[in-house]
Amino acid sequence: MNPAAGSTGRGTAITETVPLLELRGVKASYGRIEVLHGIDLVVPEGSVVALLGPNGAGKTTTLNVCAGLHKPIAGAVYIAGRRMNGVAPDALARVGVCTIPEGRGIFPNLTVRENLQMMTFAGVSMQEVEAVAYERFPRLAERRNQLAGTMSGGEQQMLAMARGLATEPALLLLDELSMGLAPIIVEELYGIVAQIAAEGVSILVVEQFARTVLGVADLAAIMLQGRIVEVGPPSELEAGLSSAYLGG
Amino acid sequence: MKEGQVETNHQRIAEFREEIASLTVRSPVDAAERTWLLTGIGLGALGVVVILIAWFGASGTAIVAEQIPYLISGGLLGLGLIIAGGALFVRYSLSRYLRFWLVRYLYEHRVQTDRMIEALERLESALRPAEPVDR
Repeated sequence: MNPAAGSTGRGTAITETVPLLELRGVKASYGRIEVLHGIDLVVPEGSVVALLGPNGAGKTTTLNVCAGLHKPIAGAVYIAGRRMNGVAPDALARVGVCTIPEGRGIFPNLTVRENLQMMTFAGVSMQEVEAVAYERFPRLAERRNQLAGTMSGGEQQMLAMARGLATEPALLLLDELSMGLAPIIVEELYGIVAQIAAEGVSILVVEQFARTVLGVADLAAIMLQGRIVEVGPPSELEAGLSSAYLGG
Repeated sequence: MKEGQVETNHQRIAEFREEIASLTVRSPVDAAERTWLLTGIGLGALGVVVILIAWFGASGTAIVAEQIPYLISGGLLGLGLIIAGGALFVRYSLSRYLRFWLVRYLYEHRVQTDRMIEALERLESALRPAEPVDR
């Protein structure tokens, strides 16, 4: 199937141009143990693609390969049509590939403002970073001088997202956004993800718990034991999800 | 989405494609480091071989004047190679070690902060006056 065709649920047309992210036959390993056995995945421009699967399926490794954090042993990673195997992750971050890792990756012993200050490395001024962050997440403005580690899980995730968005990413890689958060917070965060996607940012989101992410995704892929077993619109995949998780 | 916003996003995506196209794809740092580390070991070994050759050459003659070229081109070159190789080896094995140490330090620091925050929260809740009980 060609996931690049069609249109998004938000009404934003997925363009037929070269996809922003494409994996072709990607294999990856940890030492001698191969964990990805030939992944093919396409994230078309302006779309949200959800990569779902149970614990240990290889979702995070796939995301790390896309972000340049894990070098594939075979296959190719194409970003905006260019083969990017082995490119340094910081180089990708500088041009606009933003990764929000599992566990948020914020600095708990720095304040919200200091955490945001970290994003000025890309040449964006602190005023701009703060303006973008506080406009989208007003709660962070109230807590700008609070230590990030003392905030709630949802607020920490907001900070991680605000930090990522400050660099004006073109491609956003989200890992387990919902981890350890209450369902109501997860819904709020996915609402923000939908807004970001509507603004034209392409998003690859990795999730273990699927229900909420399917509401915002244009395409979804189910991953099992290092392989993508199914790709399609969320409405078509919902039925197959339970069997994927339960092994039925 | 507003028309102006759409325009900005198209611009951003076009900019992203251009930046990706102009990005230099280098070999990862880890591979480069490994190469330099192996180069260091290789140079050191080569230095030892050169010194052995020089020693073998110099030992073949009892005339000091004939031994000097071996000393200069063999001994000094060998010594230079060993020093250069050793420096490369130390430089790249140290950077690996220091990077590990830095990550470890950051990790410990985070754990320490988490513990402090937890302790402060426990203290805060312990010091909080109890709710008055209605009788």
